[in-house]
Amino acid sequence: MDKQLDASDLDTVVLRELSRLPTFGPGRGFADHVVARVRRPQPASLVLLRRAGAWVLQPSRAVSLAAAYAVCVAVGLRLAVPWMTAHAPAFSFVSSWVTAQATAVFDAAALAVASWAVELGAADAIHSAATAGPRLWAALAALTIGYAACGYGLRVLLRAPRRKDVSLAGAL
Amino acid sequence: MPTAKDLQSLGDREVVTLAKAGKEAAYRELLRRYERPVFSLIYRMVRDRALAEDLAQETFIKVLNALESYRPEYKFSSWVFKIANNAAIDQLRRREVDTLSLDGAPDARTADEVQATALQAADRQESPLAELESRELGSQIELAVGKLRPEYRTCILLRHVEGRSYEEIAEVMDLPLGTVKTYIHRARLELREYLAHLRT
Repeated sequence: MDKQLDASDLDTVVLRELSRLPTFGPGRGFADHVVARVRRPQPASLVLLRRAGAWVLQPSRAVSLAAAYAVCVAVGLRLAVPWMTAHAPAFSFVSSWVTAQATAVFDAAALAVASWAVELGAADAIHSAATAGPRLWAALAALTIGYAACGYGLRVLLRAPRRKDVSLAGAL
Repeated sequence: MPTAKDLQSLGDREVVTLAKAGKEAAYRELLRRYERPVFSLIYRMVRDRALAEDLAQETFIKVLNALESYRPEYKFSSWVFKIANNAAIDQLRRREVDTLSLDGAPDARTADEVQATALQAADRQESPLAELESRELGSQIELAVGKLRPEYRTCILLRHVEGRSYEEIAEVMDLPLGTVKTYIHRARLELREYLAHLRT
């Protein structure tokens, strides 16, 4: 260096030069490497589900859980089967009583619907529609097309959103 | 959705909020803001380019993966520098390295890559001779800074190269404000000694 510094200037020059020191840049693709290794935030429910799945699927835990399940089933059957055999007449009585009651309720309901349809004249309308031929087929076709259109509409509405700012690396 | 240009006009906190929602553009904006200062700090601490790049990558991965735990009452820059400084100090404790290249990254193959990764000097309105002298002086200062003990080096770099406040440096280094001031004072004294040969 041609010009030497005075002692009093040295501090000033050092501080000035420190503030003017250049910056260094990392290599190309630095940001891409970092972004590719960043975990994206996910919904809490999904995270919990995955954690639970991972916890359960750990080999030692999975074997323990399966064994516990098998023991529970075996013990349950061991207790339940003899008890049910011992009380077979009671079970038979209860099941036939429940069946009879259900049948009676169903019969009553069917009768009520039938008498209501007769009172409204619905039976005559159905009878005349059955004899209408082409009109009935047209109505059925319209119903089918409407059903298919609704199904397609739902499929479009419920389609997963496309996230434009997610990189392929992040998605994988 | 904000574009990259929109993000540039936002403060760190807003960008962090977007990054927490998983926006890749926000991650990239935070990287764009801090990759050079963080890499420079780490590089000047460990003085090995490849190692500095690995540590800077680790720092950013740690930062971006832990955004949920970031507390907004602290400055984001302090948090980033704290993680970077810890990574560098841990590395220095493990091994000593002492080479500082002023050239581009070793894996840079093209001239563009070398240019992009080399030292980036600030624009100065100086004559070529003054610039040459300044560069020479800068190199000597780089060497002198490299001789400082790591704590002093961090303090001096954050204060005089990155222009951070004493309070922020105290936050970054988890030290009392008075200790930071003492470190900076001692570091300046040591620099003066190392550069004594420049005096008349």
